[in-house]
Amino acid sequence: MTTTDNAAASDSAPTALEDAVTTTDPVVLGRVWGFGGMASVLLAAFAGFLVGVERLDLASAGVFDGADGLFQFWSAYRVAFVLLGVLPALMALATTVVPRQCGGSLVFPRAAALACWTWVVGAGMTIVGFLVDGGLGTPGGGGERQATALTLMGLLLVICGLLLASVCVMTTIVSGRAAGTGLRDLPFTAWTTLVGATVWTGMLPVLAANAVLAYVDLRGRPAVRFGAEDAIWAQLSWMFTHPAIYVLALPVLGIALDLVSSTTRTAQANRDVLLVATAAFGFLSFGAFAQTFFDTPGTPIAEEAISVVAAFAIVPVTLAIVGGLADTLRRGAANLGPKPPAEAVCSILAALLVLAATVVGAVRVIAPLELLDTSVTGAHFALLLGAVILGLGAGFHHWGEDLVGPEGRRPGMFLLGGLAVAGGTALVGAADLVSGLMDQADFTGVDLATAGNPDSAVDGLNLVSMIGSFALLAGLALWILNGSLHTAANRKVAA
Amino acid sequence: MATTVTTPPTRPRTLVVASAFGTGSVVMYFGCLFALYFSIRHDAMAWGSQWYPEGAIQLVPGGMNMSTMAMSAITMGWAVHAVLNDDRVHATIAMALTAVLGIAMVNQTVFYFKDIGLSIDASEAATLLFTIVGSHMVMVAVGVLWLGLLLLRALGGQDTSRHRDLVSAAALYWYASVAVYSVIWIGIYIAK
Repeated sequence: MTTTDNAAASDSAPTALEDAVTTTDPVVLGRVWGFGGMASVLLAAFAGFLVGVERLDLASAGVFDGADGLFQFWSAYRVAFVLLGVLPALMALATTVVPRQCGGSLVFPRAAALACWTWVVGAGMTIVGFLVDGGLGTPGGGGERQATALTLMGLLLVICGLLLASVCVMTTIVSGRAAGTGLRDLPFTAWTTLVGATVWTGMLPVLAANAVLAYVDLRGRPAVRFGAEDAIWAQLSWMFTHPAIYVLALPVLGIALDLVSSTTRTAQANRDVLLVATAAFGFLSFGAFAQTFFDTPGTPIAEEAISVVAAFAIVPVTLAIVGGLADTLRRGAANLGPKPPAEAVCSILAALLVLAATVVGAVRVIAPLELLDTSVTGAHFALLLGAVILGLGAGFHHWGEDLVGPEGRRPGMFLLGGLAVAGGTALVGAADLVSGLMDQADFTGVDLATAGNPDSAVDGLNLVSMIGSFALLAGLALWILNGSLHTAANRKVAA
Repeated sequence: MATTVTTPPTRPRTLVVASAFGTGSVVMYFGCLFALYFSIRHDAMAWGSQWYPEGAIQLVPGGMNMSTMAMSAITMGWAVHAVLNDDRVHATIAMALTAVLGIAMVNQTVFYFKDIGLSIDASEAATLLFTIVGSHMVMVAVGVLWLGLLLLRALGGQDTSRHRDLVSAAALYWYASVAVYSVIWIGIYIAK
């Protein structure tokens, strides 16, 4: 019955939303990861900016209603940057660019789609949890327990989504690459993604275990220890500091190596050394052991040899990678032309910021300086995450044609945004570093005692840091606008 | 005129590789919980504190579960061997037996949770015990679901090399769940 068949077919024609949700096309999934991740990065930067404004007056609460409110935004800034922003944005490149670099296609596309939408739902729950007075606990215990439980559940979904996507990507690289392509032959973006994904597949389950323990203890009855309001962040904070955050920079270093090699049309001279150095970078960034909340009597884990050696060892390793990048740039400089591509400029700046972050990370663990709880920790985080965002932006711009389409690229607008991101990151990093040396605490609270009773000169530095946060925010907004215009131009052509 | 039949290149055991990565993640999850359990227990013992109240943890339920899991490891191995030898009947029986043993293990754990003379908020030890054993119960339940899907495929007549890889992948996960339980049995039920 042709008529009936046609009617049935027209009834079941999928809507645009159904199409988007049920697709297994890695490019569409990559767009969801990419736009979702960068939007979260923008939100995180806004939260960071508000925290920066609050720090202008260390003695009282101006923007927030108290220390608990400030703490929720301060912790949201870090969580949103890492789990809702940077990792998903990296996943956008991992699901679209990496399979092509391997000469194959993404394996388990339905699992990849499930991972993507699990992350979207989890990210939504996490953001709502933070907005309704939940978050990851508060020092004063003034948060809503139900909302805190919602945040933890959202985080667990986020972790599940990221883990499943990582498994798809790693399997694609290990057993889905083209026949005859060895792991040593992989482009650096694919290689560093493999190393990075291996490390975060080892760390994210540990974070999930911490979150489950806190959730079990939080629900329904007075918490024994793990689910106490003032203890949840302390259990999860290891994911947002040295050495765990270094793993986020690894794919960015890979992107920089590939972009410089591609734009200078020059292969790396010491490829094997760079492969080993990037693998060592990944090894040194495994941070699941550094859980300060569970410190036993004796030397705290952050001051143990394993933490200190990792902080120092990563500096020469990064130097070797940046050296390889500089060598490729030197040998291929003649091919760059009078106007080097914007993405190459941004990726080189990103690699230099990673190097600066590792140096700050090493200074931070020098025991006599006692900087672990000061804003040097914040400077370290800001420098590294700024570098990662800059490198990610370079990757998105370089492979934008694959993700969105060829029309509407605006290199000038992208470079302007990139320079704002780089400048803002450098300002925040430098100001917070000096403030930390003047004893300003990492979490400043809303009174001078919580802020560590720092020298009054930190007021000026906090203003500089706030201006840097604003520049970062402006650069990101420019990038989001650029990406939206790029997408719109290609939609128009397609229509 | 001879015709050339081209076959698509086979991927090197994609399912098993993915299962290995996934199982590795699960093992890391339990690794964290075990590390916290043993670290906090060590501190409590060092301070002379009581970890569990006297008689709260019985050896029999844990021992029963361990023997159930050990038997399921054998039946899972039987399933893998049968699938590799294209023995569909034995493979189906072995997978069904493994799933039944898994269900028995979940049932025994639920019974023990209801019977145990320890509330979840009694102490740090109790919270950790319920979290670890409960997580493992979920791990086994996921394994049972996976085996159920494989049984459906087997009963539906799908007997391809992909199905063999699926059984090997499930077996890897199942062996990991047995290994995790053996740590629970020794570290929690026996060492208390």
